[in-house]
Amino acid sequence: MNDQAFLENTTSELLALSDACSLRLSNCYAERGMIASPIPLPILGIDTEAPGIATLWVQVPKSLASEYRPGQYFMCWNPYDSAGGMNRSHFSSEKPYSVGNMGLGTDGRVFLGFTVKDLGIQSGELTKLSIGDWLAIRGPFGTSFPDSSDGDRMILVSGGIGSTPIHMAALSCRNALGDRVRIDAIMGFRNSEESHYVSRMEAVCDTVQITTDDGTLGSHGFPTIHLPNLIESPHRGRAKLFTCGPEPMMKAVLMMAIDAGIESYAAMERYLPCSVAVCGLCMVGDRLTCIDGPVMEGDWLLGQDDFGKPHIAHSHT
Amino acid sequence: MPDISVNVPGLEMENPLMLASGIQGGTAASLHRVSASQSGGLVSKSIGPNPRAMYPGPVCVEALDSVILNAMGLPNPGVEAFSEIIANEDFSKPILVSVFGSNADEYADVATKLVSAGAKSIELNLSCPHSKPGSRALIIGQQPELIYDVVSTVRDAVDVPLYSKLSPNTTNIVSEARAALEAGSDGLSLINTVSAIEVDPFAGRPIIGNLLCGMSGPAIRPIAQRKIAEVSLAMRREEIPTAPLLGMGGICTGLDVARFLMLGASAVQIGSALVWGDVGQFGKIVNELTEFMVLNDYSDISSMQGIALDSLEGLS
Repeated sequence: MNDQAFLENTTSELLALSDACSLRLSNCYAERGMIASPIPLPILGIDTEAPGIATLWVQVPKSLASEYRPGQYFMCWNPYDSAGGMNRSHFSSEKPYSVGNMGLGTDGRVFLGFTVKDLGIQSGELTKLSIGDWLAIRGPFGTSFPDSSDGDRMILVSGGIGSTPIHMAALSCRNALGDRVRIDAIMGFRNSEESHYVSRMEAVCDTVQITTDDGTLGSHGFPTIHLPNLIESPHRGRAKLFTCGPEPMMKAVLMMAIDAGIESYAAMERYLPCSVAVCGLCMVGDRLTCIDGPVMEGDWLLGQDDFGKPHIAHSHT
Repeated sequence: MPDISVNVPGLEMENPLMLASGIQGGTAASLHRVSASQSGGLVSKSIGPNPRAMYPGPVCVEALDSVILNAMGLPNPGVEAFSEIIANEDFSKPILVSVFGSNADEYADVATKLVSAGAKSIELNLSCPHSKPGSRALIIGQQPELIYDVVSTVRDAVDVPLYSKLSPNTTNIVSEARAALEAGSDGLSLINTVSAIEVDPFAGRPIIGNLLCGMSGPAIRPIAQRKIAEVSLAMRREEIPTAPLLGMGGICTGLDVARFLMLGASAVQIGSALVWGDVGQFGKIVNELTEFMVLNDYSDISSMQGIALDSLEGLS
């Protein structure tokens, strides 16, 4: 948690503005227990993780950071339009992102890292922001991965940018339990070029196995090729599996875990425009992903007809 | 136990609480979800001629305590897809289907298709801009002559009960109520959201993607109550035709429901309250209303209806 390299290009003026915004967040958070209305924060640092994947660092109050649970999400809004102004037409929109990383700075400052992959207009515009630009956040919203206890064994399976909540789950578990927990991870990517977060995961997990769809890094195939070995390997204590990634991958992973009697959870992603149970467009089965998720129980998800399909109908059009 | 059932044209309900339009009501799955709660009835999202996507976000935020701001942009699956839902899904509660268009013929066309598919009652969302040149600055609901045009055209096209949903953003809501009722509306729904804007001083711009937005939540409840009182009083004085009122605007508790009923509403709709408690709000509010009625010896909904208007009789 001493990840300060991202502050290299931050001026003292920007840090002062960031302190003022963090204080604003802190007051809001103390009053409500959450940030209900979007509050803009200056971006203090940007890490390029891979082509088209960037981590945006913003400062938040310690209270918010310490109560955040891995898997929960923030609605992240880039208030600029595609021309860099703030005109009405072609506004970038607001989408849900879970926290990928946390960092402690000097003077007790706390930072959240949102890792964004360019997958469309909104996420693409976010990856083009610069240090000093605004990123507005509200939240945290939704459910989280359950806590682990002494002697537990965690099996983590991520696909693509699903790495981010999985990394937070591993990081938070390691920080809480030290070596009293065993963490084995499998990270799947399309190819070597888009791989990211590998060294971060290696720093907090006991083992990390990589798979790529094209074999350019790690083993050739999907993350499920390594899962039977992990499931069958002897371990003491209770095993729990957390997964985040494309739904067909999560479905395959959950089926293997549940067959083996392992308690499992998936962090879901759906078209989620409002986050407050109003629009009704993020449903899985009879649940709303925005408030009943994003983290849902594996056995429940496997019972839903609309879980596990490669493409979800986005909005009404 | 008091009888809290309500029977108004097209809506025979076990209790007076309906889901308000625009909340979770655009897909079969979400309507079934609300139907499984203790709501007495449902109102769909406003259905238009074609599928429409959501505006860019933020689309809905809790800007202050008790203040919800939204600009969704009338997202809906379009009349063809929603007619399939009406024709094929069996909801356990009566459903009032909300309709919008950009002119009278579009409203009538959408309503006709929905009624052919099985819709038993229609709510006309009049808070939409009109496509007529020169009238873009105002919504239909701010122009009594356009309200009359839309409602009478739909009235001629379908024979199910019609409820006209009025905007509070007018000079004298009785004028809009009169236009809707004289055009053949069977009832009124009031109020729609209050027009609003909120600016973030750090970003130097409005916090809603669409910039302009509508305000709802408990902060607008007294405004809604005033509008309902004005329309109810006009009905009592026979200045406008008498018709049932569906009241909405910030209702969160059983006592709020009683307030609306006492000002003349026959039933109410719940929207923003779901932000703070999802569909569980319906059961909570039903219990609160029932307890209140037992405590005050009200035997049914009609025994409370309009009693607060008596004290307003003398107002000129």
